[in-house]
Amino acid sequence: MSATRFERMLVTGARCIADGEVLFVGFHWPMLMARIARRLHAPNIVIVYENGIVEDRLTPTFPTSPCDLVAAEGATVCAGSLDALYMWLGSGRVQMTVLEAPIVDRYGNVNTTAVGPYSKPKVRLPGSGGGTELSSLGRNLTLVNASSSKRSYPERVDYVTSPGYLGGAEERARLGYKPGTGPRTLVNPLGLCKFDERGEMYLAALHPDIAPEEAKASFGWPIRIEGGYEVLPAPAADELKVVREELAHAKERYYLLPEA
Amino acid sequence: MSTGAKPILSMKEAVRRFAPDGQELIIGGFAFSDPTALAHELIRQQRKGLFIMKTSGGVLVDQLVGAGCVTRVLSCHVWNSVGPVPAHCFRRALEQGKPHAIEIEELSYGAFTTALAAGACNLPFMPTTPVQGAGHFTQRTFLPEKFAVVENPFGGGPVCVVPPLKPALGFFHVHRADEYGNAQLFGPAGEMRFAMAACKKLVVIAEELVDTEIIRQHPEATVAPGFMVDAVVVEPWAAHPTDSYGYYYRDLAHHALYGELSRTEEGFRRYIDEWVLATGDHAGFVTKLGEKRLAELKVRHRRYW
Repeated sequence: MSATRFERMLVTGARCIADGEVLFVGFHWPMLMARIARRLHAPNIVIVYENGIVEDRLTPTFPTSPCDLVAAEGATVCAGSLDALYMWLGSGRVQMTVLEAPIVDRYGNVNTTAVGPYSKPKVRLPGSGGGTELSSLGRNLTLVNASSSKRSYPERVDYVTSPGYLGGAEERARLGYKPGTGPRTLVNPLGLCKFDERGEMYLAALHPDIAPEEAKASFGWPIRIEGGYEVLPAPAADELKVVREELAHAKERYYLLPEA
Repeated sequence: MSTGAKPILSMKEAVRRFAPDGQELIIGGFAFSDPTALAHELIRQQRKGLFIMKTSGGVLVDQLVGAGCVTRVLSCHVWNSVGPVPAHCFRRALEQGKPHAIEIEELSYGAFTTALAAGACNLPFMPTTPVQGAGHFTQRTFLPEKFAVVENPFGGGPVCVVPPLKPALGFFHVHRADEYGNAQLFGPAGEMRFAMAACKKLVVIAEELVDTEIIRQHPEATVAPGFMVDAVVVEPWAAHPTDSYGYYYRDLAHHALYGELSRTEEGFRRYIDEWVLATGDHAGFVTKLGEKRLAELKVRHRRYW
């Protein structure tokens, strides 16, 4: 069976992770991508979580969230949130940051708080957790959105939970965010997006069976696509094997998986 | 705040004494060490009008909201992290005003941590994550002064700051405590040390009561010195269904059970009737979980302490 779009997204995200780096990984699919990367090409990554756990090898059990303390089994450090968010992330010691972005706009602003008016939301979502810190402070920020529905890519989010470039890169810089922070990449089931110097998202790479017009129709604004956009290589057999093993493991751990 | 032996209270008595209607309280835990047994007792005693502060809301806050105990929540997120699935009661309260409307104020986890650190150290304010332009910065409900921006006095542009947060009361799950209130927590600590020290009154909920000589074997694990603690509750499995490092794992099946039942108001009431009210107290809740489940959840590997 060929890879589903979701499986290809996981492979693409895992490939973005370079061996030997220090990673700050947010909950959900970013955790799974880092786990897949560790099993494939990046065994020497060091993962830090917001609660202060440092994980430098594969945990026997896939945690349901960073606070599922099977994540702490065999940890080299169990510290706290001030350590994780400021001593490690804010200080610039973390080289890559991976954050789930289920609703994300033109400038990479992420909403995990409320759809509709804040005081009378149509859909109330969980809120920030440490997501705001990941996007405010993290270097080489990679966003992950498992949806390719237009609802997940409005031109402007109703609530900025995790700031991207706000109204543009100039605004982010003026407000006092550090240089080198802000989203660089977005991984989704269609391919990869990047952000230009003004902080605007554009389509940079697509999976082979996805036409540019189809990809563009998933976004709530006229998204730019590079003339010579990259076509992503299909997952290799060993990549797909690891992805499927980990998805089976995730299911045993009560993860709700997208339908194929 | 005092030295000497502290009252060792049952959960019922601690709630009766420390948490009347309308109480402002911070509850410890960050999706692990969430003292759900406290929430259940607040529900049994039908508390109303509570102002709950909790960094990670989870099933605990969801149950308090669903049971109508809460009018204000300060949090950085509220959800059921297994699945994940929504915190259904929290959603119903904010989307439909059921069972009644609540007020919500939000901080990011870093802002919450730094506000508690400022409170713990009695600092006038503390620099925090830049959040200018983000929703938590502009959207303010009952804490209009939750953020400010100052010019760095040493040069270098604007700095986002938070005021000190000093909760009137804190209830925190810990692993073990002695009769003087010296409280130990092993494993990751999240923001807990700051949060405990920020409280004006502090009650710890310990998995076990131990002799001070045991505490002395690992003084590095003491998260609250006895002189900061006002009372001790001893309640095994108090953090179920979340995890207690070195004691028991997260109960995924119970998270899923609650997530499924709480999808409807009727299902939620059924959960509360069956698991909270009918069990009478936390010992009854633990008995209902059953020996088999408890054995599965118990951490079997050797602890380092």
